[in-house]
Amino acid sequence: MPESNQRDLLGHPMTADERELLDLYRRLQALSARDDLPPCALMNARQAMVMLWNACTDLDLIFEEPERE
Amino acid sequence: MVNWPPYWNPKNETLPKEQLRALQLAKLQRCVARAWQTSPFHRRMYEAAGVRPESIQTLDDIRRLPFMTREDWMDNQADKPLFGDLVTRPRNEAIRYHLTSGTSGRQPLRVLDSRKDWSWIGEQWCYGFWGFGVRPTDTVFFAFSYGSFIGFWGAHYCAEKIGCLVLPSGNMTTEGRVKQLVEMEATVVCATPTYALRMAQVAEHMGIDVKRDGKVRRVIVSGEPAGSIPATKRLIEEMWGAKCGDTAGMTEIGTIMIFECDKQPGGTHIIEDHFIEEVLDPETGEPCDYGQRGERVVTSFGRGFIPLIRYRTKDLVMKVPHTHCSCGRTGDLYEGGILGRVDDMKLIRGTNVYPRAVEAILREHPEIEEFQIVLTRVDNIRDEITVQIELRPGFPDADWAGLQSRVGTDLADNHEGLRFNVERAAEGQLPRFELKAKRLQDLRNQ
Repeated sequence: MPESNQRDLLGHPMTADERELLDLYRRLQALSARDDLPPCALMNARQAMVMLWNACTDLDLIFEEPERE
Repeated sequence: MVNWPPYWNPKNETLPKEQLRALQLAKLQRCVARAWQTSPFHRRMYEAAGVRPESIQTLDDIRRLPFMTREDWMDNQADKPLFGDLVTRPRNEAIRYHLTSGTSGRQPLRVLDSRKDWSWIGEQWCYGFWGFGVRPTDTVFFAFSYGSFIGFWGAHYCAEKIGCLVLPSGNMTTEGRVKQLVEMEATVVCATPTYALRMAQVAEHMGIDVKRDGKVRRVIVSGEPAGSIPATKRLIEEMWGAKCGDTAGMTEIGTIMIFECDKQPGGTHIIEDHFIEEVLDPETGEPCDYGQRGERVVTSFGRGFIPLIRYRTKDLVMKVPHTHCSCGRTGDLYEGGILGRVDDMKLIRGTNVYPRAVEAILREHPEIEEFQIVLTRVDNIRDEITVQIELRPGFPDADWAGLQSRVGTDLADNHEGLRFNVERAAEGQLPRFELKAKRLQDLRNQ
């Protein structure tokens, strides 16, 4: 479960929706870095990951390069 | 019926200014640190200027960073083909390749984007499309050739992301495009301002009244300063019976950085959570105040493959506070959009002439369908400026002398009395454009 004390780039506490989005992004990021998934899983996980990257970046939850996309 | 908010990103688009500045600083620090670590080009540039990532402690410290120019980029690519060493990752990690248009005989810039960059590019267009009122129920027609020029590529993916029905017109003829957008009941049309006018004119020639026969309610333009020229915009709105909204971007950032919102305040909002837009005196490099014209210098937070930090664009702009618009966004505006290029001013017999200003005057005359500005030098000393005009079909020959006189007077009155030669071109004689229009020929040094 995402931590409830997480804060955004401006130091504001994240809302429950924001924490859930960030958690989803981190999970997709972890999947995207694996090399044992079938192409249909890996490439779609990467595609989904960059979409979540946008949501998390727009909402100031992260500012980073995902690198393994 | 979903009650959508008016903002794509309500959190940041209405963020109080001091928080927006804090966000920009946090992003700038990380951007500079990453460029330092991953781009040899940037590392050299910063070392030569005596700055390090930790030098950026306040937003004003951005001025300690050296400018990056197109010439730097071109030289870097020429020294280390194909992409130079400003790129931060190997090319096999990119999913997209685009080129600048390479006008003026210059070497085109080659750009690469990662999967994330490409997705971010579409995201910036979402700010603009949503802000101008595009919603999932819309049908969006792209009058765009889908080549290596970046054009509306990002907008295409933005429209898909929003959930619109997308009509990509690719290599269709103008007639074919008109037929399809009417038949498919397109509600949004995306084109350059020039081509938006052209499509409406061709529709007229085909006996189609896009205002009556079509469903278009928004025309979104990009690629030319004309999108914010009031007379051009008014003409587009009259011909289409739709609101016309301006956007502007550049290949170097891959997307748009400004857009006009649904309130149509006469300017374009800066997407300030993804860009820092400085306006500087092009000669001294000193910051301009609100209301002063200057060169825009952009820092992009989104393109990871190619860091773009303090890039001199040569675009001429005038920033005004966000309060000039009633939409509630806290992103400042460029009043009048992109006003032109810092270097596109022409000196004719001692008078400054800007092509945009000439277009603004000519578009006040709806009888004019197309035009060209031609500069020549007579006897190796006297510069002449001639405006060639193509009239709308059916214009009575007997009225030409009157129009010629009125246009000549209007042009002179707005240019310190400078005499313009006004000539009539035959129907179909002047070139038409789908992408960036080239309406100025400077033949003085030939």
